[in-house]
Amino acid sequence: MPAIALALCFSVIPFLKTFVSSFLTISQSGKAIGFAGLDNYKTLFEDKAFISSIGNTLRFTLYFLPLNTVMTFLAAALTRRRRKCTWIMEAIFITPLAFSLSAFALVFKEIFRGEVSIINRILHTSLLWLDRPGSAMAVLVILGLFLDFAIDYILLTAAFRSIDRSVIEAAEIDGAGEVRKLFAIETPMIATMLSITVFMALKDAILISAPVMILTEGGPFRSTETIMYFYYLEAFKSGNRAYESAISSMMVITSAIIMGIIAVLRRKDA
Amino acid sequence: MLKALRILLLGIIGMIILFPMAYTISLSFFQNVDFTDSYAHFFPSAFTFENYVTASANRYFPRYALNSIITSLMAAFFRLIVTTMAAFAFTHLSFKGKKVILIMLLSTLFIPYDAILFQNYSTIARAGLIDTYWGIILPSVFSASSLLFMIGAFSSYDRDVYDAARLDGAGDIRYITGILIHLTAAVSATVFIQTFITSFGSYLWPLLVTNRPRMRTVQVGITMLGFSETGDAGAEFASIVMITAPFIIMLQILRKKIMDSMDIKEGESV
Repeated sequence: MPAIALALCFSVIPFLKTFVSSFLTISQSGKAIGFAGLDNYKTLFEDKAFISSIGNTLRFTLYFLPLNTVMTFLAAALTRRRRKCTWIMEAIFITPLAFSLSAFALVFKEIFRGEVSIINRILHTSLLWLDRPGSAMAVLVILGLFLDFAIDYILLTAAFRSIDRSVIEAAEIDGAGEVRKLFAIETPMIATMLSITVFMALKDAILISAPVMILTEGGPFRSTETIMYFYYLEAFKSGNRAYESAISSMMVITSAIIMGIIAVLRRKDA
Repeated sequence: MLKALRILLLGIIGMIILFPMAYTISLSFFQNVDFTDSYAHFFPSAFTFENYVTASANRYFPRYALNSIITSLMAAFFRLIVTTMAAFAFTHLSFKGKKVILIMLLSTLFIPYDAILFQNYSTIARAGLIDTYWGIILPSVFSASSLLFMIGAFSSYDRDVYDAARLDGAGDIRYITGILIHLTAAVSATVFIQTFITSFGSYLWPLLVTNRPRMRTVQVGITMLGFSETGDAGAEFASIVMITAPFIIMLQILRKKIMDSMDIKEGESV
């Protein structure tokens, strides 16, 4: 008996341990030749391309976060009570979950392609969406919205539906209208879940790279080059170990903080 | 008035969400002339399955799809085994350093996968696993969130069952395979399906660790099939539809379950 237990501990656990340590090896600059101190960080922050990638990431986050929150909140709030036809909306809203990132990115590339694109026909414009810095960023933001929409929608709807009915009924007796009920009573009750989705979106936003890769490749004129796309270019295309380790460490720490906040919120929610 | 506004808003959001997905299906039937016409089409000018035939007959597409299915199944299968055994060890056995190991494992929750891409890549490269299935799946075999999920499920089962099974002479392995996995089948299925879907949809990692075309997964592959260069842009969208359709169908079948199980989970925690 104990033998099997030991075998388990010493085969499963070390196995996991090697795994974990493979994930944990973060900021060693390969075979360290000398102690660099903060020099890596200094050169990194003097690099104009890196600074502009921070700017681009911040810009993306700034557009993405409010839009994502408003859109998913609206969708969830409007379908929070099951009615005859809610299932149709539910079915539509969760379908983006089935689409992979590359599928969406390719479709968006086609929707916004060139001057005779379908989006220009719908909006009666003749923009070259992906060839101008501002609009390329807009397309990226829209793509980001689609990638996160379904999961946020599911979480928020679930939160709305788990509210104790009696509270809502009490408000109804007091004569609270639909809008008042939603904002004064139900929204505060899902505030924790709402902030969880906001922080999840924040984490996704600062780490965005793959959509950039397929959709714009950082262009035009590096206007959509985000931090993680810059990291990808430096690490895999230029083999710049100093940048790679410095960016990686900073991003791990930043997102660890965000994920820490999410974990605390989740505990509060439970 | 409010009702009309609600329906209007839902309609708008629904249209926005639905459009790219519906358009993908439309695109998959587009004739070559539809792509190059002087105005953008909503619908194909003729209805044939030609694009689907072209996509299926592509030298690489079936191979990509097969690679994706194999790697996703492998990832899901091995993650299930590893997390089941680990969760068993953490909930049923007592051994030295249990707390420390658990904390260490769970701390990986806070390390975003994307931020340590290069380190993982060099680990896999040093192990000579570039262009192998193992290289694609290994980093995703262990997942702290799956482990946490499993531990939660396992710890709700009474130790009495375990002790009784041991008295009856069942070993640990027999207890796991004979009793525990049957009791927690729903949880195992969730982990398996989740892993399969994430793994199937992943883009960046398979892109990095595969160089030879025949080892690529479908998500990487569809961005490189080069249909648009040969003037078969429609085939690209046909292949997207083919790999996405199974997931859409599955999602719609499980829709009630997805929405409800979230309900229950949230309901319990309140």
